[in-house]
Amino acid sequence: MRSIPSPDDAFIGAASRNGEQRATIPTYYDHPMLKWPDWDWNVVTYLFLGGIMGGLGLIQMLARPELESERKLKRTVRVTSFVLAAANPAVLVTHLGRPERFLNMLRIMKFKSPMSLGTWGLVFYSGAAGANVIRELAVGGTLPRWMRFFAPGLMTPVQALLGAFTAGYTGVLLSSTANPFWGSGKRHIPAMSVCSGLASACALSSLLCTLEGNTEPLQRLERLEMVAGAAELFILTDFERRHPDYTKPFFKGKRGEKLRTYTMAAGTLGPIALNVLGSMFNLPKPVDALRVTAASILTLAGGYVLRESLIAAGKASARDPQAAFRQPK
Amino acid sequence: MATGFFTDTTLCIGCKACEVACKQWNELPSDGFAFSGNSYDNTVELSGTTWRHVAFVEQTMPTEDGVANRWLMSSDVCKHCTNAGCMEACPTGAIIRNEYDSVFIQPDVCNGCGYCVVSCPFGVVDLIERFDPEGTHYNLASLSEERVEEQKTALQGHGGVAGKCTLCYDRQKLGFVPACAKACPTESIQFGNIDELRERARARVETLTKRGIHAELYGADDAGGGVGPLNAFFLLTDRPEAYNLPAEPVLPSTRQPAGYTAAAVTALGLAIAGWMIFRNA
Repeated sequence: MRSIPSPDDAFIGAASRNGEQRATIPTYYDHPMLKWPDWDWNVVTYLFLGGIMGGLGLIQMLARPELESERKLKRTVRVTSFVLAAANPAVLVTHLGRPERFLNMLRIMKFKSPMSLGTWGLVFYSGAAGANVIRELAVGGTLPRWMRFFAPGLMTPVQALLGAFTAGYTGVLLSSTANPFWGSGKRHIPAMSVCSGLASACALSSLLCTLEGNTEPLQRLERLEMVAGAAELFILTDFERRHPDYTKPFFKGKRGEKLRTYTMAAGTLGPIALNVLGSMFNLPKPVDALRVTAASILTLAGGYVLRESLIAAGKASARDPQAAFRQPK
Repeated sequence: MATGFFTDTTLCIGCKACEVACKQWNELPSDGFAFSGNSYDNTVELSGTTWRHVAFVEQTMPTEDGVANRWLMSSDVCKHCTNAGCMEACPTGAIIRNEYDSVFIQPDVCNGCGYCVVSCPFGVVDLIERFDPEGTHYNLASLSEERVEEQKTALQGHGGVAGKCTLCYDRQKLGFVPACAKACPTESIQFGNIDELRERARARVETLTKRGIHAELYGADDAGGGVGPLNAFFLLTDRPEAYNLPAEPVLPSTRQPAGYTAAAVTALGLAIAGWMIFRNA
């Protein structure tokens, strides 16, 4: 009787579909070991808006109320951040199916679950942003003056802190999964989410300032956007350099081309070039408005494509059993 | 009492009685008919509506007198991890650990966010498709009219929730053995007190080793990566990957400290940059 050989013998393992003998780990008919999410445009939008919302939290704190132009900026940013905070649960509901399902998230708070913490972050952020909007309206005279006591000055840094959290947790949400690509970016994905969120928030603020004709804070917003954009670009480059294998679905192929074109070139380098151009030459007002608009739209589109690519690459990575069997450390 | 499964793959004959018994008891819809081309495995994988899956591993090895073949069969199931990635990830608290130490999804609490799906290191949990009255996916024709209405209501209300093995929570409550273990004709699937099962498994490995058969336990002790011991563990005769099981699973939440730290450091750096830009410009 022949004894059953041990795995150390030269068994091919379940042959792959094309019949090749693989030097790699034997797989089960190359069938994916992991599952991938059904996340679609709505989750991409949720992550994208969450990033902007978070970045706006910082900008509303940075804007100085002593200056007329920045007081206007502060007001615009606060109102926008509140609108986004109110809109984001609605986007999430389109993914969950029914509005009541969002409430299920609020029955517990779980520190181990980034999804749970993030939902609470969003709820508290809405509260802080709402309080700050009430303050703006009370100071501005739209609401009775006494209502400004609903929002003490403390709410300004609180909104900024919660903003940093809402921008960053979306990255942790992706990276603390069993997905090999997302897992390999356990540091890079959260960091790039924060950078991209702030860059997009600066872009949106610049756009709104231009529409309002409030051009004075533009230069500062653009500088901050350039810093955030440069940091994002550095993190993306470092991510590919450190994890050339796990990041293949992200940086290689058609998806990689899209990321390079829309996020890295047009969405980061493009606006940086346009902003440098703007600070070097004193462009006539209508031309400058056009420049700011173009730079802002490029940054925002790049931010959206970044989130889209992260989700798509995660789905592709889960389908690869070789990557799934070799989990990143 | 902590209960679990010990799946001894050396005894599995690939009859799929466990799959059928599971589908029947838990009233899970059919997966339709499709041929995978992967040996006799047309079930292909565990899913939201398939809680037992028999894998058919065909292997060949060249020898002096031709080719040696072997056929490994293994009934896969949710591992009911000690530290369950799905349970940690669940934002609604729908996934709980019940009194039998099994990981259980409460379908009425689940909101279908899908975060458990990507947080399972074994690719077990999946979302149950939303109800499509036009779709052929659900084999409603085989049910009585009353049951069809019940199924429709259940699926309309809860379609798009996550599904996986419950370790027959309802049967255990009634003092019954889970359906798959009950149906298994060769005792490849053994159900019982988890400590007893572990002891039995170790004895079985010893017996097989004495007979010259390579046998290893998968998940009886710490599965590694923070996952801990599995309440549904396996006896395998090849490396885990051959059965589509990860040799080194990682508990997703172990990646959180690095992630939160990276986000906080980046946010702090950008805040300082912003402060400098806005104060000094």
